[in-house]
Amino acid sequence: MSKQSEQSKQTEQTPPADQHPVNGLDDVVHQRVRLGILTVAHQGRRVEFGFLRTALGLTAGNLSQHLAVLEKAELVRIEKGYEGKRARTWLSLTPAGGRALQDEVTQLKRLIRQIEQGSSDSES
Amino acid sequence: MTDASVPSSATPHEVLARLGDLTRRVRSAQRGTWFPLLLLGALTLGGILVSRLTFNVETLPCPASGPATGSDCTLIKQGSPIYWPVGLALAYAATAYFYIRRSRNRGVGTPVRPYVLTGIALVGLATATAFWILHQGPGQPGSRVDFWGLHLDPGSGVTMFLERLAGNAMAVGLPLLVLAWVERNRALLLLTVVYLAVELVPLTTGWAGIAVTSPWSELPCFGVPGMLLLLGALGFGLAELSGRRADSS
Repeated sequence: MSKQSEQSKQTEQTPPADQHPVNGLDDVVHQRVRLGILTVAHQGRRVEFGFLRTALGLTAGNLSQHLAVLEKAELVRIEKGYEGKRARTWLSLTPAGGRALQDEVTQLKRLIRQIEQGSSDSES
Repeated sequence: MTDASVPSSATPHEVLARLGDLTRRVRSAQRGTWFPLLLLGALTLGGILVSRLTFNVETLPCPASGPATGSDCTLIKQGSPIYWPVGLALAYAATAYFYIRRSRNRGVGTPVRPYVLTGIALVGLATATAFWILHQGPGQPGSRVDFWGLHLDPGSGVTMFLERLAGNAMAVGLPLLVLAWVERNRALLLLTVVYLAVELVPLTTGWAGIAVTSPWSELPCFGVPGMLLLLGALGFGLAELSGRRADSS
């Protein structure tokens, strides 16, 4: 199993509450573009490659590379097909992808709480 | 790949704000609120014409047990039992088609399924209620109304409220609440609350100088909610247009 997919499997388990939230962030998910892809796919349920490219402001090549990472980690499902004569690529989140995004957002919120608590402790 | 392992350099606040912004943009691309409002508004205004064309006055002998025994009572019949079920079912089917087509064109999924399924289920329920009442036969003046086994006084406030609730408030208003929820659309929620208030509050025709026995007596009952839905459609349509212009500029 690759390092990336190992990391993605870790996201399915939320780290213990006493562990620093940074340790709960998964590099596969936390990367800016991939986090954007997961967010758009979560809200859009099923999104087309072109929509994703425009929404994230990426080149086709760059987006394809990030999608390959997410697909390898089994966080997204990619379907290719035709609509009329046009080739289309559709993307949707797998259950693991949905959980990974949820975990990421939870860790980010925990991190914000810790930062805010730290700054209020230092002020007092 | 140059940035595959580079984590986000932004603060957690900035990352969450960016995700929130992305989510808002996707929601905005998924919405097509103006279309169902336009259909429902047009259908509601069409109800005025149907009421006018089906208006019928009958004079029947008043029931023996009532206070007006021996004299004649006037029975007004208005409205088609087919117009609303068929019209609303077609409106929900057209909305589903519109959203699916839009989803294909824009490349992003649609959350409309709960709205359409709720709409069709509630149209079925409203139709069953209407046919149940129709099945009981024309109500004699002064007699009680059989509403799913409840024998209600037709003149009481509770009966009138239940009749209004079992009509368009249920078949149009409740599905719109579902649409506001699936689209996370606060403006639609506000419009729906106003619509439900209009449908559930009794609208009389006296202020407009229209008698209850007039063929146009249903004008405010359909005209006010119909215009509200059409104005909503116009507002959401304009908002969508300006949002698209802002995105493209």
